[in-house]
Amino acid sequence: MKTVIKTTNLSKVYSGTAVPVHALKNVNLEFKQGEFTAIVGPSGSGKTTFLNVIGGLDKPTGGHVVIDGVDIATMKESQLFDFRLRHIGFVFQAYNLIPVLTAVENVSFIMLLQNRPKAEMEQRAKEMLEQVGLADKLDVRPGKLSGGQQQRVAVARALASRPDFVLADEPTANLDTESAFNLLDIMARLNREENITLIFSTHDQRVIERARRVITLVDGAVASDEYFDRETSGEENGQTGQVMTATL
Amino acid sequence: MKTLIKISWRNIWRNRSRSVTIISAIILGLMGGVFSASMRLALEQQQFEDTIDNQVSHIQLHHPDFIANPEARYHIGGGVEIASELSKRDDITVASPRTVVDGMIASSNMNSGVTIKGINPEIEARTTGLEDLVTEGTYFTEKGRLPSVIIGQALANKLNSYAGSRLVLTLQDVDGEMVSSSFRVEGLYKLSSKSFEERTVFINASDLNRIIGDNDIVTEIAVVIENPDDYRKVAEILSGLYPNAKVRHWADLQPSLYYSLEVLGEALIWILIIIIMAVSFGLLNTILMSILERVRELGVLLAVGMKRAKVFSMIVAETTIIALIGGIAGLFMSWGMIRFLGNTGVPIPGGEGLEDFGYASVLYPRLETAFYFEIAIVLVIFAILASVYPAWKAIRLQPAEAVRQE
Repeated sequence: MKTVIKTTNLSKVYSGTAVPVHALKNVNLEFKQGEFTAIVGPSGSGKTTFLNVIGGLDKPTGGHVVIDGVDIATMKESQLFDFRLRHIGFVFQAYNLIPVLTAVENVSFIMLLQNRPKAEMEQRAKEMLEQVGLADKLDVRPGKLSGGQQQRVAVARALASRPDFVLADEPTANLDTESAFNLLDIMARLNREENITLIFSTHDQRVIERARRVITLVDGAVASDEYFDRETSGEENGQTGQVMTATL
Repeated sequence: MKTLIKISWRNIWRNRSRSVTIISAIILGLMGGVFSASMRLALEQQQFEDTIDNQVSHIQLHHPDFIANPEARYHIGGGVEIASELSKRDDITVASPRTVVDGMIASSNMNSGVTIKGINPEIEARTTGLEDLVTEGTYFTEKGRLPSVIIGQALANKLNSYAGSRLVLTLQDVDGEMVSSSFRVEGLYKLSSKSFEERTVFINASDLNRIIGDNDIVTEIAVVIENPDDYRKVAEILSGLYPNAKVRHWADLQPSLYYSLEVLGEALIWILIIIIMAVSFGLLNTILMSILERVRELGVLLAVGMKRAKVFSMIVAETTIIALIGGIAGLFMSWGMIRFLGNTGVPIPGGEGLEDFGYASVLYPRLETAFYFEIAIVLVIFAILASVYPAWKAIRLQPAEAVRQE
């Protein structure tokens, strides 16, 4: 399988405080096309920093992030904007939809920024909303949707433009159990059907149990990297599967 | 671009009451500014019409000694010919030769000191519009036994006279002897300035010259020029052409009026600037509040790859749209207000007393269409300037931090 993201000796130090904080310490990881990965760890372990750095939202203080053969750690800010737009999808904890746009407009938004043809954009947005079970909410604004529905729109938005990978920061943290399972099922299905790499930061056990790969960060360093065979372990029931590999 | 405008438009109406408040502030600010400007123009116009157009004219020529000693012996040599020459110039509309002397006017029970202006009625009508100012009686049309005098309404009240009354004028002749002559009041004129009405009477120049004892005396030439803004330039040309005459423009003749108009103009420009700046700060505050409420949302836009320039444009568009809505509505309402007040007039508090100083008691505001466009352009420019700071704040957000903000 093709490597989508490769980090080499990735480090991030926040030096604005009295004592410098080492948020990431020499993180070496590879993510393959179509992987469904959960980044787990206690608060302050560096999960969000890791997602921000591989998502081009934050600059590492050391090491490399190579995406599709390009080291984004050396990119200028203006190049990063374009890179994020064309290669990365984001799902945020608090849904973060644009409240003044309808569901279909929200899903189209990134494609619009990419200057995709209008017809293609609309068709894809509707298709994505159908896939996340919101075909009847196309023209509804986020304020009129439940939290679970909003997060499904956010997932549809992140995947609609067919990015190389999607980063989701605590996507189920604000959802009730039913909505969370529903969302995870949708994401797992889209991951399979669209073959898009999904990387989550989470400490939600429900997400961890669905992930086929679980990377544990502790104090900014990789403590474990485990693969699970979810296909054979009752994924739809949210049960933990068989550990296939473990790397440290 | 269309989507950017769409988002901006919808963002404006997210907090409807706040947007309506700032739009109302713009409308009221504009109405206030337009009202001030229109009143200033009305006052300026009234002052010009009453003082410059109806009394002084743009430029006057005199014998240099006449200024200190307004007597008939200090007259302009060849005054009638000079006035005729001046009237033929392209930059001059008309030049009225006058004989101006001081004297007394008396009715059967009252007398008063006056300035007697001997005029050519036809030329004077074109110079000061005196004929149109006559509100009672007629304007030098009667051929009676007694010569005609046109007096001000205020003087008529003071002398208890009316059109048809007989009055006696007493003045010095060219030899310095006191002479008197009877006149019949043919017409009463009305101006905003009561003091002018009380102290100025008009008679036919031929009648005055006959009394004075010289048939060819011109002590004053009043000049109306084609382009009123060129008064200084034309006065300078005339000074060169007639070095023996003292040439003065209206700003020299009426310095208090000139400075009051200058100060008024300056003050009102500042009032307009202050109003527009106040509106701009209101806008800035509104947009800034809206930015601070949308930090997370703006962070998402930046995170997903919306370029900072686009985010900046979106904020500027929001501000400009608010300014345009308020501006267009405000200008329409201002236009309606000026149309209404232009017909009904605006009474000036204590206006009766102001008439003694040459001010009208009722002003009729009006504005040129170009002014509305000018003020709209200025407002949009200020609105765009007001949006720069909030827009700059928005694009300085760090997406990674902004998306996590509560």
